[in-house]
Amino acid sequence: MKGIVRRNRAPSPRLRAFARSPIFLIVPACACLLLAAFAGPVTAQSLPTAPITTAGGRLTIGGDASASISPSDEYYFDYSDYNYNLLRQVRADAAAALRLGNRLALLGDLRVEGPVGKGPWTLRPYALFARIRPWPQRAFDVQAGLIPPVFGAFSRRAYGPDNPLIGFPLAYQYLTSLRPDALPASADDLLRMRGRGWLTRYPVGSTTADHGVPLIDGLHYETGVEVHAGNDPIEVSAAVTAGSMSAPRVTGAGSGAQVSGRFAYRPAPWLALGVSAARGIFVSSSVTDALGAAAQQSSNDQRALGFDAECSHGYWLVRTEGVLSSWRLPALRAPFLDAPLRAFGVDVEGRYRIRPGLYAALRVDHLGFSRVAGSAGELPWDAPVRRIEAGAGYSLQRNILMKIAYQYNWRDSEYNRTSGLVSAQLLFWF
Amino acid sequence: MPGVLLLLIAGGRDSPRAAPAAAAVRGRVEIRNPVASPEPRPGIGDLGVDPAYQPSVDTRRAVVYLETAPQPAFEEGGEMHATMRQEHETFVPHVLAIRVGTVVDFPNGDPFFHNVFSLSKTRPFDLGRYARGHSKAIRFDEPGIVRVFCDIHSHMSAFILVFAHRFFAVTDDQGRYRIDRVPPGTYTMTAWYEGVARQSRTFTVPDEGGTVDVDFSLR
Repeated sequence: MKGIVRRNRAPSPRLRAFARSPIFLIVPACACLLLAAFAGPVTAQSLPTAPITTAGGRLTIGGDASASISPSDEYYFDYSDYNYNLLRQVRADAAAALRLGNRLALLGDLRVEGPVGKGPWTLRPYALFARIRPWPQRAFDVQAGLIPPVFGAFSRRAYGPDNPLIGFPLAYQYLTSLRPDALPASADDLLRMRGRGWLTRYPVGSTTADHGVPLIDGLHYETGVEVHAGNDPIEVSAAVTAGSMSAPRVTGAGSGAQVSGRFAYRPAPWLALGVSAARGIFVSSSVTDALGAAAQQSSNDQRALGFDAECSHGYWLVRTEGVLSSWRLPALRAPFLDAPLRAFGVDVEGRYRIRPGLYAALRVDHLGFSRVAGSAGELPWDAPVRRIEAGAGYSLQRNILMKIAYQYNWRDSEYNRTSGLVSAQLLFWF
Repeated sequence: MPGVLLLLIAGGRDSPRAAPAAAAVRGRVEIRNPVASPEPRPGIGDLGVDPAYQPSVDTRRAVVYLETAPQPAFEEGGEMHATMRQEHETFVPHVLAIRVGTVVDFPNGDPFFHNVFSLSKTRPFDLGRYARGHSKAIRFDEPGIVRVFCDIHSHMSAFILVFAHRFFAVTDDQGRYRIDRVPPGTYTMTAWYEGVARQSRTFTVPDEGGTVDVDFSLR
């Protein structure tokens, strides 16, 4: 027996390296995509293709579920504020709309998500609000509760088939080194954290290392009230919510309010344009309270301007979105942060439908930062990042979509400069 | 389901006789559990809703057709056209029955884009986005069932049933149908509803022709 039974051996380092490499995913994912694309469309419509309607048509329930997989993002380009990689997650949403007459509707979205592999799972209401229409025949709505953000365009279409790729635009996802609960005392403190948004530490406020925030939090809705008026070709929206775009909060207690607005214009069916603006309190009250009068007198807000455009015709869809954000922080110690910290994110995204059920997509993305003067010279306050993501999607069934994408990132910093990631996603919705 | 339509063969169970006196087959299809009009997905990300949108999809129609048909029925040809419009975020008609070789036009009557497509094995197609006043057409050369959707408005859906012969009908809003000029013979007729219910009946058209009643009750 001794000669027959062998102990299981640990995989060799070479095998482990191969398993971590992109090729390990690229080959099977490409094979699946090609097989699906050229095997012909699948006709079976065995899964639900439409939302469930009940209670005499008053209650509509929809949902979606997705699983994304990619190699480990060791350089934290795709980390989110959940402390896990957006390219390695499983998520399911159940959304419902309950119509109570022609003036009132209640809407909610319950979300469960977690990382692929070890990590925390969360179950939370993603949206929960009342939609009130005071005059049923007029295009004027008031929404209150945990509401969709008014600013920009991507937040309201971040999930599901509306995102032709798997990754998010940098402005909505990439973690800068700023934190609402911890502040750099000087420009040197800030510059030391360049390119380290996934884990920053500052001397003022919370001294625990934690992640920074993106320009716009694309993963949370905002708490507050918004009004929306108009229909094609002109729509106007305004909202008062808690927190700021980078750091929306569940309650306004102690955090101040954000005012945001959006103007959308559709001059032709093939073109939609939008501009947005927002201003909200960024720095947590716990920090400003601790700093006392000096912080109370200085600005601690986030301001943002945005534009977005969508152009489509035939098999083409092109979108672009830009966000200029500035944060004003208390100037505490020399070298002072006496000028607003600015960041500009812009992306251009295109999708082309190659044949029924099959498309190709590309997104080019840039995130830049204003310069600040530290003891060692002048530098962008965070490391600029560029990203290209190219991919394809194939509908196995009308509401089952398989995506594959390759993403390459550049970061202008001393370490972790580049990263190439292949990812795949399976998405089902109804 | 498409396989049912592909199984069309020439001749009834009893071959039609030499001196036919064609009959009209008529009846009523009762739908006991009608499908609800499709609703849009919960608009969680919407900042408001369009007050003009009133979903009104006509889901009362069934399609009745002969499973088998006389040989000459397969040889009747000619250029045929049909239309499926896009109006108020619905396809009109919601159910369209056509013969093989028919060209279906898809005009857009809404002041915004639609993107009509189908992944059905019978006839996959994608018309892309186009605006009001424009139309695109697709020719259907294979019998089967084609499920039609809009890529922009997920609540828009329709059916196109493609037959190899002319012995089929779509019911009216009372559930009634009529198929003319059916030669004598014994046939199996099927009533199909929204892909969720179907029922078959066997009947005989006598040599002297006349009118034959065949009713259905779909659960």
